[in-house]
Amino acid sequence: MSSSGYGQKEKVLSRIAANRLQKELTEWQVNPPCGFRHRVTDSLQRWIIEVHGAPNTLYEGEEFHLQVDFPEHYPMEAPQVVFMQIPPLHPHIYSNGHICLDILYDSWSPAMTVSSICISILSMLSSSTVKARPPDDDQYVRNCRNGRSPKETRWWFHDDKV
Amino acid sequence: MAREIGSPEKQAEFLKDQGNQYFKKGKLGAAIEAYTQAIDLCPKVPAFWTNRALCYKKRSEWDKAERDCLKALKLDNSLTKAHYILGLALLEREQYHDATNHLEKALDLGRGGSAGSYMVEEIWLELAKARYTEWQVEAAKRQRQQRELKDSLFDLMMQDYENKLRDLKLESSTEQAQFGYRDPNRVSHLTDEEVSAYHIERHPVKESQVTAEERRKAELFQLTGDFQDRLRTMEEVFDKAGAPDRPGEVPDYLCCQISMDIFRDPVITPSGVTYERSILLEHLCKVGKFDPITRATLHPEQVAPNLAVKDAVQTFLSQNGWAYKM
Repeated sequence: MSSSGYGQKEKVLSRIAANRLQKELTEWQVNPPCGFRHRVTDSLQRWIIEVHGAPNTLYEGEEFHLQVDFPEHYPMEAPQVVFMQIPPLHPHIYSNGHICLDILYDSWSPAMTVSSICISILSMLSSSTVKARPPDDDQYVRNCRNGRSPKETRWWFHDDKV
Repeated sequence: MAREIGSPEKQAEFLKDQGNQYFKKGKLGAAIEAYTQAIDLCPKVPAFWTNRALCYKKRSEWDKAERDCLKALKLDNSLTKAHYILGLALLEREQYHDATNHLEKALDLGRGGSAGSYMVEEIWLELAKARYTEWQVEAAKRQRQQRELKDSLFDLMMQDYENKLRDLKLESSTEQAQFGYRDPNRVSHLTDEEVSAYHIERHPVKESQVTAEERRKAELFQLTGDFQDRLRTMEEVFDKAGAPDRPGEVPDYLCCQISMDIFRDPVITPSGVTYERSILLEHLCKVGKFDPITRATLHPEQVAPNLAVKDAVQTFLSQNGWAYKM
């Protein structure tokens, strides 16, 4: 599936958002989080990030792609983060790429960065003990068929352990 | 009997309110008219002057804006808006020094201001632009001066080196003359007898000849070594002198962790974390009542200015003008 349908109504980045993203990108280039690669595009507002499954985990040797879209008032608002193409098989990741992770929604803090989000996602993958879709995958994905953003979902977070 | 008209103060207030209404609707001419009448009635109210100055600013009538700001500041020297507009007017006239002084003053007065009239970011952007331009001009001048100084020092050192070198050669040729030295390159043109004569002739002076030659070589070596050392030291000195004018990184402790930008109005939370005031207040209003980093509960009235960081930023900026770049 293509995730590019989300966020069509997005406005251009505010001055503060653009400034901060530029700084994040510069910092990323100097010091990227381990296991991630930012795919260079000409867009500051949408980042495509390669994720490499960590060694000695269920996802070792696998490669995934994250699409990160930034709202006009980032970082006062969380970015929208979804997996593209084939998302990892994981109890908190739906087959449409949506990720059930509290920091992306209710627990967002503007002190977090793309880098810290990436580290959270990789740690979520690495601590997984089973490769499976969430139990409500079919139903959830059906509900999102109209291209709804995961940020519009009313999430109930599965548990804090994984 | 004439109807009682309100006191001049009341009338002037009324006219100012009218002016504000016009201003909001973008009717600058009418607003100026109203403020002018208010000023005629009560010339001692600074707000009438600053409001009119704001209209002139919008119309880019900088001379008039400047005059009104000066009037207002004479009545009250602590008006953020008047210092700000005056700074802008002076920038238009390319009076960078005075302009930045007034913008700096406006920034100082504006820090910690109430939400409605908070204009620190606006002032900062103008100040940063002006300071950056100022720095560019000065840095280019410093670079040119240092380059010229370096070039002329190099020439002097080179001259000195060459002089010493010549002296050494002169000295040695005198020695050579004394010892009857002949150029060995010419040996090939000599006949066999001459060659053997040369060797015989040369033989008795060989010892002292070698010693002198070695001494000369050692001196030459020393001279060249000293010269190279001095060149290196000069490079280092000029490199250090030029360092403050080379753009670098603003240290993390002078940047807000949310905006990732240098502090304008730093405030500290009970958790001990420092943030940019406007950014933190926006977070508390839009995201939640918690410290963005520690997630401890936080209310707007709990934040306090961080004066030490403010001073550290000021010191850093005064030494690193490039950091004003937006």
